[in-house]
Amino acid sequence: MNGWPILSLVVFTPLIGVLAILFVPSRNHRLIRGLALMAALASLVFSLRLLGYQPDGAEFQYREDISWIAAFGMRYTLGVDGLSVVLVLLTTVLSVVSIFYSFDPIQTRVKEYYATMLLLMVGMLGVFVSLDLFLFYVFWELSLIPMYLVIGIWGGPRRIYATVKFVIYTLVGSLLMLVAILAVAIAHASAGNPFTFSYETLRGFAYTDALQALAFVAFFLAFAIKVPMWPFHTWLPDAHVEAPTAGSIILAGVLLKLGGYGFLRYSLPLAPDAAVAFAPIVIGLAVVAILYGAMVSMVQPDLKKLIAYSSVSHMGFVMLGVFVFNTQGLQGAVFQMISHGVTTGALFLLVGVIYERTHDRQIAHMGGLNAKLPRYAAIFGLFTFASIGLPGLSGFIGEFLVLLGAFQYSGWVAAATMLVVIISAVYMLWMFQRVFFAVPSDWMRRFWPTLTDMTRNEWLALAPLILLVVGLGVLPGPVLDAISPSVQRILDAVNASPGLTSFNLPW
Amino acid sequence: MNADDLTAILPELALTALVLVVLTVDLFLRREDKWLLTPITVIGLGFVGYACWTVWGLNQTVFAGFYRVDDLSVFFKVATVVIGVLAALFTPIYLAQRRLPLGEFNVILLFSLIGMFVLASSSDLITLFIGLELMVMPAYLLAGFHKTDRYSNEGGLKYFLLGSFASAILLFGISWTYGLTHSTRLSEIGGLVSEGGAAGLIAIAMLTVGSTFKAAAVPFHFWTPDAYQGAPTPITGFLSVGPKLGAFALLVRIFGDGLGVSGADWYGVMAVLALLTMTGGNIVALAQTNVKRMLAYSSIAHTGYILAGLAAFAHATDPAVKAQGIEAVLFYVLGYGVMNIAAFSVVGMLQRDPRRFGGLSAFAGLAGRAPVLAAAMAILLLSLTGIPPTVGFFAKLYVLVATVDAGVAWLAVAIALNAALAAFYYLRVIVYMYMREPEEDPAPIDRSPLTTFALAISVAGVLALGLFPDPIISFLRQSAASLL
Repeated sequence: MNGWPILSLVVFTPLIGVLAILFVPSRNHRLIRGLALMAALASLVFSLRLLGYQPDGAEFQYREDISWIAAFGMRYTLGVDGLSVVLVLLTTVLSVVSIFYSFDPIQTRVKEYYATMLLLMVGMLGVFVSLDLFLFYVFWELSLIPMYLVIGIWGGPRRIYATVKFVIYTLVGSLLMLVAILAVAIAHASAGNPFTFSYETLRGFAYTDALQALAFVAFFLAFAIKVPMWPFHTWLPDAHVEAPTAGSIILAGVLLKLGGYGFLRYSLPLAPDAAVAFAPIVIGLAVVAILYGAMVSMVQPDLKKLIAYSSVSHMGFVMLGVFVFNTQGLQGAVFQMISHGVTTGALFLLVGVIYERTHDRQIAHMGGLNAKLPRYAAIFGLFTFASIGLPGLSGFIGEFLVLLGAFQYSGWVAAATMLVVIISAVYMLWMFQRVFFAVPSDWMRRFWPTLTDMTRNEWLALAPLILLVVGLGVLPGPVLDAISPSVQRILDAVNASPGLTSFNLPW
Repeated sequence: MNADDLTAILPELALTALVLVVLTVDLFLRREDKWLLTPITVIGLGFVGYACWTVWGLNQTVFAGFYRVDDLSVFFKVATVVIGVLAALFTPIYLAQRRLPLGEFNVILLFSLIGMFVLASSSDLITLFIGLELMVMPAYLLAGFHKTDRYSNEGGLKYFLLGSFASAILLFGISWTYGLTHSTRLSEIGGLVSEGGAAGLIAIAMLTVGSTFKAAAVPFHFWTPDAYQGAPTPITGFLSVGPKLGAFALLVRIFGDGLGVSGADWYGVMAVLALLTMTGGNIVALAQTNVKRMLAYSSIAHTGYILAGLAAFAHATDPAVKAQGIEAVLFYVLGYGVMNIAAFSVVGMLQRDPRRFGGLSAFAGLAGRAPVLAAAMAILLLSLTGIPPTVGFFAKLYVLVATVDAGVAWLAVAIALNAALAAFYYLRVIVYMYMREPEEDPAPIDRSPLTTFALAISVAGVLALGLFPDPIISFLRQSAASLL
């Protein structure tokens, strides 16, 4: 298939699905579901072609480059490096899983639902493959609106509050980022260069300290809100609790990664000096996020909220790994993103499984499920351990690498972070114990006669995630091989930046 | 006057002829044939658009220096024609439901367009003032077009009183200017600041107040919500974009052509007005529960964004960067014109029953009742918010580029934060349309082919201009270059 615009196919196949769905009568649920799944699967199949990515080849492969808005030098430039490849694959897999899983739970406004989910897929995939800052921004915003609708239409009782909060938070960050993107492009153009938004051109330019600092802060806000980083995380628990299951899977699995990806792809290469200068602050915030997320998780009465706060903690690891600026840290951060996507996606799906049966997520309302639903308990257990970071499962690799990186940066930071490995075992195992082993609550007993173990569809939806969580844990090599040249390039670019030692803050 | 003068004003002549045709035909049409006036107006405006094309690139000053047909004016005229066509398409059904006369509407609308043409081409303060009055007098009539409706009367009267007040201030400023510089030529009043001293400042202040009053900038915006709310809804759409376009033509002429040449420092005033206007408009819009009123206040916020383009123009020193400020103004005015008139018209479509009001509740559950209409409105609202890939996004981007490039990045940050603020109330309508159940007795919807067609082309334009703005930009650049 050489010469095919693979990346465009990956990104826009879901859009073709949207157009097809629009022409199907809204009562024909079967056809709509089938079309949506086919479009997502087609995108997944195309994205598998990216497995042919050569880690030791050119930096960006499968490139496409067409002029778009010539007046400002905006181009439709796509391309992937190892970092993008793994995140694209994560996105296509999780999208297929969440679309397939939605077949039973989503029974209202089916047509709009699948159209929205596919549109969301376009936006997310576009972010990961864009090599033009303007194009990136367009996709970035494009991923926002569908999620807004998914939470707002198919969410829980407080969905409107949650979704508006989510949108406003994200918009504030991203609009400031737009100003920063323009400032960077204009600074480059003012030096006598042609106006361009090309990532590969702009990243090599030596921006002034003041611009770097301001651009870094703007990018930081956009990405830190998305990650979300303490103290910008408050939208996340609300959004997760109200979102439908598939929305939570995508939100935790992919949307949060947009933030981490943004740091690696844009913040560090565009403002390397500022990134290094601000690193101690960011690391401080990351450590707080790791600890805070874990401690708050312990006291959550709601399963989804617990997992949401644990995401704050896990994504803190990603931030820590990025900003310690060494190979292990960066590799760990990327691996942690993938692992967190798979694990947390699966956990949200599993919470959805019990929610579909009891319409309740209160931990206190559960209990004794191990006896009644042994298969469910086993799978839940698997992902609980993956979340804690048990060796042999994917969670371990990422956290371990990040901790290695953190040790090289500072023993104290690593020591503080190590604590969390214990706390995370506490909140996850305690939760597991209360849900599966404790005496069943009266509430749960009412459902006893009708409670059924996992259905075939639920198994099918989970199967790829089970394979991934075990596979990545046992055999992390291929992923690390794919990402290491890419992260090494980012790291080298930062270390080689000429202004690193002489950086002065503008204030 | 010679033949050259007449070729240069071919668009104006064509438009005047069109008014006379519509006026005459209206007299001879039977009541049930009145609908013919709409195609006549639209096709006629098509010819006017073609006439604009013939003077593109002419760049001549005619009528002994009173009138200037440059590419900038041609761009304004083309944008005026686009807005005129949309207004002529959106309004008839709404008027028919209320038994309001279509012929009079078309005639008054076209007269207002002539005013905008004259305004755009003025190179003298006298012509400028005549053009302005020719534009706003019909606008007052349009605001009060619903004769039997109290609110329309109130709106029209307020618009008229405050509008005349502003005109008077502007005129007073013009007379001071004449007194100080002994000229009304825009190209010769540049010395107002350098030589006028304190009196010059007073003159400039009056010119500023008068013209920003017309553009509805804070703190001169108080007439806007009432005038907009009272007018028949699609007409409000026109009032919110047409006279605004005219007001910006006025501002560009006075400040760009006139005071800009002298390098007078009016950047500070414009920047502060821009900041006040966008923030003030947005904050008040947040509190509105009536969509029509919300759109009225939000139109004030958009004025603020456009003023930021002018501030960038004023602050920049490099001609290319200066031109970018004007380009941003032009692009924003056009893009805003299309999306705002369409958004108002959707509100109008929900008022098929004349007793119903354009409240938020009318939008509740619209996605279930009329999915296509709701989707169209959603796209328009996203465009007004500034989400890609829409024209509203690219317009904001243009202003941001202009401000950052001109070295007023703080204004760009203010725009970004304001856009996030505006998202709150624009998205609230989407919340109602998509995330709430319809009210018990939902308002009937105008599903007429005419309005739907107009909405379809507006939405298509909003998306097309947002995705592929390149062709327009090349026109913009040539237009802005003709000013400098």
